[in-house]
Amino acid sequence: MPRSRISEELREIAGAEAVLDGAEDLMLYEYDAGLSTGTPQWVVFPETTKQVSRIAQLASRMNVPLVPRGAGTGLSGGSIPRAGGIVLVFSRMTKILEIDAANRRAVVQPGVVNADLSAVVARHGLFFAPDPASQKASTIGGNVAENSGGPHTLAHGVTVNHITGLEVVLPDGGVVQMGGKAADSCGYDLTGLFVGTEGTVGIVTAITVKLTKVAEAVETLLAIFHTIDDAANAVASITAGGITPVALEMLDGKTLRCVEEATHAGYPMDSGAVLLIELEGLREAVTEQAEAVRAVCERHNAREMRRAANEQERQLLWKGRKTAFAALGRLAPAYYTQDGVVPRSHIAKVLRYIETVAQKCNLQIGNIFHAGDGNMHPCILFDMRDPDQVKRTHEAGRMILTYCVDCGGTITGEHGVGMEKNELMPLLFSEDDLEVMKWVHDAFNPKSVLNPQKLFPTPRSCRETNVAGGIGGSR
Amino acid sequence: MSPTVAAAGLARALAAIAGEAYATEDPARTTSFAIDEVVPRAAVEPGSAAEVAAVLQYAHARKLVVAPAGGFTHQHTGGIPERVDILLRTERLKAVEHYDPGDMMIGVGVGTTVAEVERKIGPHQQILPLETAQPERSTIGGALATATHGPLKHAYGGLRDYCTGVRFVTADGKIAKAGAKVVKNVAGYDLMKLLIGSYGTMAVITGASFKLFPRPPQMRTFVAQFARLAEAMTFRDHVLGSPLTPVCLELVSPHAQAIVAESFHPVSPNSGETRVGPPGETWRVLVRAAGSDRVLARYRAELGAAAAASEMGGDDEAQMWRSVAEFPHTLFERSRNAMLLRVDVALQDVAPMLEAAERAALDNSFLCAATGRIGVGSLLVGFAPIAVDPPSAMQYVNAVSYLRSMTPRDGSAIVLRCPLEAKRYFNVWGSTPNDIGTMKALKRAFDGEDILNRGRFLF
Amino acid sequence: MNPRGSNFTGPDRPTWDLYSKCIHCGLCLQQCPTYRVLGREADSPRGRIYQVLQVDAGRLRIGDSFVTHMDRCLGCRACETACPSGVQYGRILERARAEIESNYQRPWLERRLRDWFFTRVLHRRKGLERWAKWLRVYQRSGLQKVARASGMLKLLGLDKVEALAPQVDRAFFFPHLGMLYPAEGEVRGRVLFHVGCIASVAFTGLNEATVRVLNKNGFEVFIPRAQRCCGALQAHAGYREEAQRMARRNLRAFLEPNRDAIITNSAGCSAMMKEYGDLLQDNPKYGEHGRDVASKVKDVTEFLAEAGLRPPQRRLKARVTYQDPCHLAHAQKVRSAPRELLKALGAELVEMAHPDYCCGSAGTYNVTQNELSMKILEQKMDEVTQTRAEIIATANTGCMLQLRAGVKARGLNARVAHVIELLNEAYEDPPAAAEEQHSRHRRKRASHVPSS
Ligand SMILES: Cc1cc2nc3c(=O)[nH]c(=O)nc-3n(C[C@H](O)[C@H](O)[C@H](O)COP(=O)(O)OP(=O)(O)OC[C@H]3O[C@@H](n4cnc5c(N)ncnc54)[C@H](O)[C@@H]3O)c2cc1C
Ligand code: SF4
Ligand code: SF4
Repeated sequence: MPRSRISEELREIAGAEAVLDGAEDLMLYEYDAGLSTGTPQWVVFPETTKQVSRIAQLASRMNVPLVPRGAGTGLSGGSIPRAGGIVLVFSRMTKILEIDAANRRAVVQPGVVNADLSAVVARHGLFFAPDPASQKASTIGGNVAENSGGPHTLAHGVTVNHITGLEVVLPDGGVVQMGGKAADSCGYDLTGLFVGTEGTVGIVTAITVKLTKVAEAVETLLAIFHTIDDAANAVASITAGGITPVALEMLDGKTLRCVEEATHAGYPMDSGAVLLIELEGLREAVTEQAEAVRAVCERHNAREMRRAANEQERQLLWKGRKTAFAALGRLAPAYYTQDGVVPRSHIAKVLRYIETVAQKCNLQIGNIFHAGDGNMHPCILFDMRDPDQVKRTHEAGRMILTYCVDCGGTITGEHGVGMEKNELMPLLFSEDDLEVMKWVHDAFNPKSVLNPQKLFPTPRSCRETNVAGGIGGSR
Repeated sequence: MSPTVAAAGLARALAAIAGEAYATEDPARTTSFAIDEVVPRAAVEPGSAAEVAAVLQYAHARKLVVAPAGGFTHQHTGGIPERVDILLRTERLKAVEHYDPGDMMIGVGVGTTVAEVERKIGPHQQILPLETAQPERSTIGGALATATHGPLKHAYGGLRDYCTGVRFVTADGKIAKAGAKVVKNVAGYDLMKLLIGSYGTMAVITGASFKLFPRPPQMRTFVAQFARLAEAMTFRDHVLGSPLTPVCLELVSPHAQAIVAESFHPVSPNSGETRVGPPGETWRVLVRAAGSDRVLARYRAELGAAAAASEMGGDDEAQMWRSVAEFPHTLFERSRNAMLLRVDVALQDVAPMLEAAERAALDNSFLCAATGRIGVGSLLVGFAPIAVDPPSAMQYVNAVSYLRSMTPRDGSAIVLRCPLEAKRYFNVWGSTPNDIGTMKALKRAFDGEDILNRGRFLF
Repeated sequence: MNPRGSNFTGPDRPTWDLYSKCIHCGLCLQQCPTYRVLGREADSPRGRIYQVLQVDAGRLRIGDSFVTHMDRCLGCRACETACPSGVQYGRILERARAEIESNYQRPWLERRLRDWFFTRVLHRRKGLERWAKWLRVYQRSGLQKVARASGMLKLLGLDKVEALAPQVDRAFFFPHLGMLYPAEGEVRGRVLFHVGCIASVAFTGLNEATVRVLNKNGFEVFIPRAQRCCGALQAHAGYREEAQRMARRNLRAFLEPNRDAIITNSAGCSAMMKEYGDLLQDNPKYGEHGRDVASKVKDVTEFLAEAGLRPPQRRLKARVTYQDPCHLAHAQKVRSAPRELLKALGAELVEMAHPDYCCGSAGTYNVTQNELSMKILEQKMDEVTQTRAEIIATANTGCMLQLRAGVKARGLNARVAHVIELLNEAYEDPPAAAEEQHSRHRRKRASHVPSS
């Protein structure tokens, strides 16, 4: 079927305004927040589940790749149409379908922006707990697909812990209702299985989320250390000491200086590292825990402890944290964020290793990360105009992730595998492990119409041929 | 190949894999492993994942039905098996695969009992918030397969929330894993979710990793009593809407109270329990709080006079929670012919479901005894016969079908255990889930020959 | 397409250094009014920057598509506030628009109209005065009624636009040029006042209020005669040279020693004037002056909040919501000052959900992109309505016009006012000066008139 026929059918399904197929428009969907690119042949903005289903049928029938896209803030190329095809953008499916405060649930369309949901349910004293640093832009559909975490994951858990039901369109156009408002349902936990599948097994068109009660009291502390080692050791002591902060974030000195320039959050410019620690809960409990945290930090040679005196100061401290990645953009035209996780007791060691990698590869690497979870985010700065730097950057990334795996950790804690880490999956998984995962993939998406060439390493035999990939080669 | 392998051949083959001492088809032993009176032809206790794989490869090639088994505390659940060729016991998969107290993670073989894990981590003031009945018998594998939970689910969530990695063997004998040994991981599909609660129909889990939590240094429980369920629910909503963050929020129905009391042996003669009214008359809501004296004082203030009047602490408190967790077991100790359902519904459906259960019990000559995590909507509903004579199968059927007719579309009411005679008359899993087609597709992908727990799951 | 090199031609083009700061993280998307309405990457800050990059890489033409998306940008710079990477979007936009003006043929009528407005009307006081008088005649003579009734406007597609045109005042502010207004009480400082072009013909009362409030607070105000339009509208529309011309004129008018600040009451003007350094950076003669003048520019709310208000006599007993003008909040980062002033007045300040979301006014935007502008206004009015405020305060004339149109369309019973107008009402004149109240200002010819 020629391209124009597909365009025509798409227009018939979604409306003329909702389909883009001109080169000048398509190039705007060839990137996300990561490093990879790939240009689609069509971009469609569906408005209903029915339209999504019909588009999926069309794609299956024509064997055209179909790639869902939320806000495009993903860091692993999840929404990039690697093999061309149709990109399905959810910016017209942004309705909050139901707020059921009595049951602590909301039902939303996938294009609803994470922070918008929390803002709307705030009047019930509730919020949506997963809080990726991109929450002001990223969509709940994207959060579900990536199983996103955030600073408060430490206490509240990641996205999957807050999803109880999904409506999913399968690649053949079938619509499946998984779970519902009840916390558990009968049969296999398909909802749980589905979260984090990165748009490779189905397209989410409605999501039932848990809403969490806003805590009575919050204490936000900034602990300032001379050395990274002290800060890292303090992290291990806090968690091992039975204190459970809701968030425990670390920023190293290099990052601090950039963040401070960007936000004027009041971060010290001259320290080795800081910990941003948040405690939440009953007022009495929070006060006591704050004291305990202070004691631990001081035992680990904290140079100074600061406390946010009011909500404004707290927001400012968090703004610094939430914009930290992008603030590093001030130092170099591009950065490559890694997302390895290590057991918490290894943090100091891994940070030292990252420093040696930086020296060996002659690159700048900043560290801002979810220390409480051991979720490292070394941010490798580079200039994409310099091919040698690009090569060294990838090399550094690989070295760091390999080290994380050697420490008993993993290659991605929240950003997903996508097309940026799929070739690293064998570091973690055997061929059998991957084959079993492929069973799941094929049960839903047997023809790989949906988001092809993601998550799984390219089979060795296909590596050459995949470059032209799908009908993308004909453009 | 015929599915009926020569008997001696099967035991010999299994012995060749696991060792003489660990394979048997001696009826004297296999009868003790009967599932719903179906006696397995042979039983094997592999000592490693590799041996599990070899057993499954052998069975797969011959289409032999395999039933994985741990402590036999949950084998009552599921449809009556047509046959069981090999009972695969996880008894020997007891290794502690990794445990570094500083990282608050543990990985164990699935044959490890819950109590063994508790003994391992207890000295480090850590907990695994599983809290099953019969911890000395209940294994980690069994807990995972049945997605079991206890009162701590209120604050810590279920297994799906704190199990971070699994090692397993597929029906065709592949050794595989998913997840990781760290608290956070999104590399690859989350097969933990698929295996937890799959009742051994997807793969044989051999090991798993868990997030651990610090044990609160001090806990106390406030017991609020109400004449009517509606009042108890109002109290629940009050607690949920308050700033309090209890670790447990549990309902004990009037009759359940009697059952719980059976296994509750106060340590101190002057325990708080003596101040609590006689069992069998009130709905109780137990609010378990953790924290310092100041925090507890705040609980008293927020909960109001009703709950603050009777509170428990120390060993008694721990004992009492132990007996609440034991409810699903004690129910049957007391009444062999009881029936137990697991009911999962949205918060506001809890009361209607409990009312429906009371009604179903009354109409069919049962006493309804229920406990449950009313802050998350997970209930255990027991039906104990009133009469001395065993009830007829139809009484069970009627009770269950009435309860199911009152279950909302997205809720579920699974019969965890009931007399065998009754089981023949209904599907223990209840109505067909919306997504059954997808579940079947996954089952086909994982176990196309349907050798794992054939006939016992939804389909 | 030009596979070999950039499709930009001018020396003042968007450069790699400017646009490569964007790391396409997308954090700005939801802050962008056009993205919120249209949901298209092409109409987001990230997408616009990417298009600029592609034009520079020779992969995208300066054609209809590029121009459409760049035209749709409000220039509100909310994206700069959101951007953690420090992208100076406003600079990229102005440069890209200048490239559009020199490399893209707009339809004939549009071109002539734009040229006429940006280089004639705004160029000199005379042009502005003539235009404003014509508009006044139109609005008051009954011609407006005829035009409306006859459906003529609708035919021309101007009906919605016409509702947004400023209501031209009976008396213009021009006679105040060259005047000096002494401070009341103890003198706290001496300032220069930039009157703003639209404000001089349609917001005379606001300008008078500004002078009076400054006087009441102990500041002597001088209004240089030779001042011109600040150049903002021109720069935003891509008439960069015209804007530079305006800036140079203003430098001469405002390069006065011994003055503490240059005050404006229009956020668009102060934002532009604070950027004279950048606008004139390539000009060896004016670059430094530009930076000098820029460093003295203050929005009136910013200036007063910093100086501290003399307590007003009357209190404002009303429920007030405050709309952040983009060019104040995003371009100048002035957010708390106007709120502090309102609180000092005793107002009950109720914030709307997103006070710093653009109202859709954006200079001439509500005229050129009327449909989109109205959609943006719709969203704004939803939030405004929820506050149940009696007064919608803001600090920019363009926003006032737009919000008034919104209030009218919804039939709300709310008043739209500039923060300074509210302040002005709170200051009573001392009994001694009562007889002067009619003239409102004690004016005095300046002893020296700066050369123009
Ligand atoms: C500055 C910055 C900070 C970040 N911080 C965090 C953080 O703290 N924690 C974290 O976890 N991540 C973080 N991220 C990564 C990213 O924001 C998250 O992965 C986010 O969930 C992606 O959402 P999105 O709407 O942008 O999805 P996209 O990037 O558009 O898509 C992501 C994936 O979801 C799939 N998808 C989207 N919609 C659907 C749907 N309806 N159905 C099926 N699949 C779908 C896509 O195919 C793709 O595979 C950050 C990113 C940035 C740029
Ligand atoms: S200036 Fe305003 S309209 Fe233009 S891109 Fe930035 S946020 Fe969007
Ligand atoms: S926030 Fe800044 S860096 Fe991020 S996409 Fe927008 S303009 Fe680019």
